[in-house]
Amino acid sequence: MAATALPVNDRFLEILERLSEKSIEDYYNPYQRFAWPPTLDENRMWTSPDLLTVYGTEHYDRLDEDTLRRLSKWESINFYSLNVHGIRELLIEVVGRIHMPGFEVPSDFFHHFIGEENEHMWFFSEFCRRYGGKIYSSMTMSADSAWESEVENFLVFARILFFEELVDHYNTRMAQDDSLCDTIRQVNRLHHQDESRHIAFGRELVSLLFTRMREAVSAERLREVESYLKRYVVFSVNSLYNPHVYRDAGIADPLGLRNALLADERRRVQERKAIRKPLAFFLKTGIFSDDTLPVL
Amino acid sequence: MTDGLQQVKDWILKRHPERDDIPNDLDLIENRLIDSLSFVEFVFLLEQHSGRTIEMETLEVDSLRTLDAIEAAFFLAEVK
Repeated sequence: MAATALPVNDRFLEILERLSEKSIEDYYNPYQRFAWPPTLDENRMWTSPDLLTVYGTEHYDRLDEDTLRRLSKWESINFYSLNVHGIRELLIEVVGRIHMPGFEVPSDFFHHFIGEENEHMWFFSEFCRRYGGKIYSSMTMSADSAWESEVENFLVFARILFFEELVDHYNTRMAQDDSLCDTIRQVNRLHHQDESRHIAFGRELVSLLFTRMREAVSAERLREVESYLKRYVVFSVNSLYNPHVYRDAGIADPLGLRNALLADERRRVQERKAIRKPLAFFLKTGIFSDDTLPVL
Repeated sequence: MTDGLQQVKDWILKRHPERDDIPNDLDLIENRLIDSLSFVEFVFLLEQHSGRTIEMETLEVDSLRTLDAIEAAFFLAEVK
């Protein structure tokens, strides 16, 4: 991993201390916190309508109410499944770096981070298994590659930050949506509360790692990193469009619907709302030179 | 080459304009024509053109490594 020390400054140290204290003060036992009713009402929406992948297109208007409700259920199971797999993968990376050279300063906060993420993975998986009877399978293939350690360290935490910010858009919206049941709002509210600390930490760490990486690699390599990270942004957004969800919701031609939605520019408008904050961060820090995104 | 495989090949070539052709035995993953970020899109493309459901948990990456392997696993199985 990294042998070079992080270029930490007073600001980073103060933020780390404040966030660690807050992690301790706000600590809760997730295993006692949720009431977990035996079932959730199938006649209500499980996802806010404007967060559904068909929203803003003619498919939203053409689907009847029952289908939209089923879609909202399975899209919610998919969303929490993506969280389970995303957390599983990020934990592997963070555990691989805690107390290793280059990460001496943030290692203490990593303990809070790992503990909290493990608990989030638990309540998301509990939700999926209790109310969906399954966790949708991971769609990732681990066959990559050989970035140098400065780049790999940056990319690991940039991916984690993007994933957390994307998820937080959904959590924030659903925690406030009165039309959703208490359990769904609570899951989203608690996750948002913890993630606001992780995002604050992630922004500082990614900025420092970017500074360190920029000094270590060529301009050409930086362009490759930007290109990869932009593809990761699109990959993450595309994972919300799951044909297995459309099939479970009883929609005909699930792959056809996915292709239609991915080709529909009106969906880009909705997606930009979900990724506005992380994209603005990547632009402000110079990680992205512009906000154009590729097609995968 | 089956029609389905030709469409798969065209999809890859469209994403790699630097290439004119893809030999049937070229390792698509080792040569980074398919990577972890394009993998899901690629699996959905295979589902669409082969008409088969692919379970990610049980998918053998080796069955996707070359055009020959893809043809054997997804487009020729019926006539074997």
